[in-house]
Amino acid sequence: MKVLIVDDEAPARDRLRRLVEESGEHSVVGEAGNGRQALELVGQVHPDVVLLDIRMPGMDGVETARHLDQSRDPPAIVFTTAYDQYAIDAFDANAIGYVLKPVRRERLEQALRQAARLGRGVLEDAGRQAGMDEQRHHVCARIHDELKLIPIDEIFYFVADQKYVTVVHQNGSDLIDDSLKSLETEFADRFVRVHRSALVAVSMIDALKKDDSARTRVILRPGAGEDELVVSRRHVAEVKRRLKKG
Amino acid sequence: MAAAKAGADMQNQAYLPDFCAAGTVLVILLVSELVAIVLTLASYVPGSFLTELSKMSMYVLWIAFLSTAILCRIRPWVERQGNTQAFVVCFVILLALCLLLAEITWQLTRIFAESVIIGDSHLGFVGRTFTISSIVIALAMRYLYVSSEWRRSIVLEAQSRISALQALIRPHFLFNSLNTIAALARSNPAQAEEAVQDLADLMRANLNASSDRSTLKEELETAAIYQRIEKLRLGDRLHVKWDVDELPMRALIPSLTIQPLLENAIFHGIELLPEGGEVLITGHRKGDDLEFTIVNPVAADSKRQSSGNKMAMSNIRQRFELAYGSRAEVEVQDAADRYSVRLAFPCDEGVQ
Repeated sequence: MKVLIVDDEAPARDRLRRLVEESGEHSVVGEAGNGRQALELVGQVHPDVVLLDIRMPGMDGVETARHLDQSRDPPAIVFTTAYDQYAIDAFDANAIGYVLKPVRRERLEQALRQAARLGRGVLEDAGRQAGMDEQRHHVCARIHDELKLIPIDEIFYFVADQKYVTVVHQNGSDLIDDSLKSLETEFADRFVRVHRSALVAVSMIDALKKDDSARTRVILRPGAGEDELVVSRRHVAEVKRRLKKG
Repeated sequence: MAAAKAGADMQNQAYLPDFCAAGTVLVILLVSELVAIVLTLASYVPGSFLTELSKMSMYVLWIAFLSTAILCRIRPWVERQGNTQAFVVCFVILLALCLLLAEITWQLTRIFAESVIIGDSHLGFVGRTFTISSIVIALAMRYLYVSSEWRRSIVLEAQSRISALQALIRPHFLFNSLNTIAALARSNPAQAEEAVQDLADLMRANLNASSDRSTLKEELETAAIYQRIEKLRLGDRLHVKWDVDELPMRALIPSLTIQPLLENAIFHGIELLPEGGEVLITGHRKGDDLEFTIVNPVAADSKRQSSGNKMAMSNIRQRFELAYGSRAEVEVQDAADRYSVRLAFPCDEGVQ
């Protein structure tokens, strides 16, 4: 199996690499020092399994795993941790594979053999149970084989169009796999539903106005795009309330 | 060890204070006098307040001092009994003493005083003494019991927090360090050997930490050892700048203060920064005080799982308060991009 190692500590990566290589059955196809690097690498090296540290700077292991799930052929995931009692309890409860550091050779081989692909739902549940932030800091778009991270802060709005959700952000727009419903739940504190098919960042809304045909429209802040999204009648009150709250 | 032993002693002890001590005797004198004033006021006769008060004071103080003397003698024995038994024994002995004194007083006034000093029948006088004494003794003992329970709970709470802190931060650090050592064991055996020695020293310092104060020199050494171990793990991401040359190394500080602060700075700050950062530790002398600050950068979007942090801080705050009372300051500044802790405490270079 092809293994990708993700850990922010160099000695920890060295040791995992040696253990994997000495097994004779598996090979290490890459190493990453954080979650972001891991997402970049995964499209290039196509690992079967990712050994993923939970506690990492920038993006923790659980969020990284949720993004990895979006890649074209999602790898199986085995978490590694020195000590995270809450996370371990949550992993046990959700049958998510993990190994404890310092890692034992036999335990690692067993975990690699049993490594399974994890659905996003499973990871969300585990994250919630572990008391970790269930809100991601990014959403992830897949462009060919590459995964592209879009920081939540830079997003203007999401629009659903039949099958796909388009995210419109500072640097353009991308298609993502998340459903509008799940985005609305996850980012309830930052986005507001203005229409059956649109979710707008509250902080990006400048004002509401009535157009010629008496429909309410959203005016975005300068720099956040010219589009004037329609606010459906049943959402007007809620949008106004959220704007007042700021 | 000392603290643990004191705690164990307190748990087994009854709640009586040291009745042979001058302070206790003074308190008893004051309380008795207050009781005398209350009783005199309750049976106020116009024009004769001071006369009545002196008679009452003499009587009450006589009872109070004899009771104190008896309690002083029997306390060592009473303390070996359980709380309930101690209560019953003291109550009965003191009440018997009161009745005896009431009887003696009655007989004395009958023999020596021509005029009627006590305007009451024999039975009435003894009966009043009995009732009032029972109530006062019961209230006093209840008070002693409650206040001793209160003191005991404070000591126990402080101890449990200290041990909780000592146990709290260790696992994460310990397992990560062992993992680093496992990695170095083959790639760099010499470094692995160093790391094992450092870890051993650090653990030893932790186990000895129950002696409540150590010198700044020892504290800084422990923190430096800790820093060496973390450096192996975090590499270039960790920088620590020490500016503590001005501090008198013999000065005393509550033990295990600096290392946990550095641990906090790394765990909640440096480790969560992809590029790492620098922890700045400075120490100065300010008149009779020593001032110590530790500043670390924090990730802007860090999720701030700061409960561990708060726990460690409230623990340090508590120990400084215990050691210095209001003469120490522990100040935390929690800004968006940096976290800083400032300690100010009296410089104590006394021999250990």
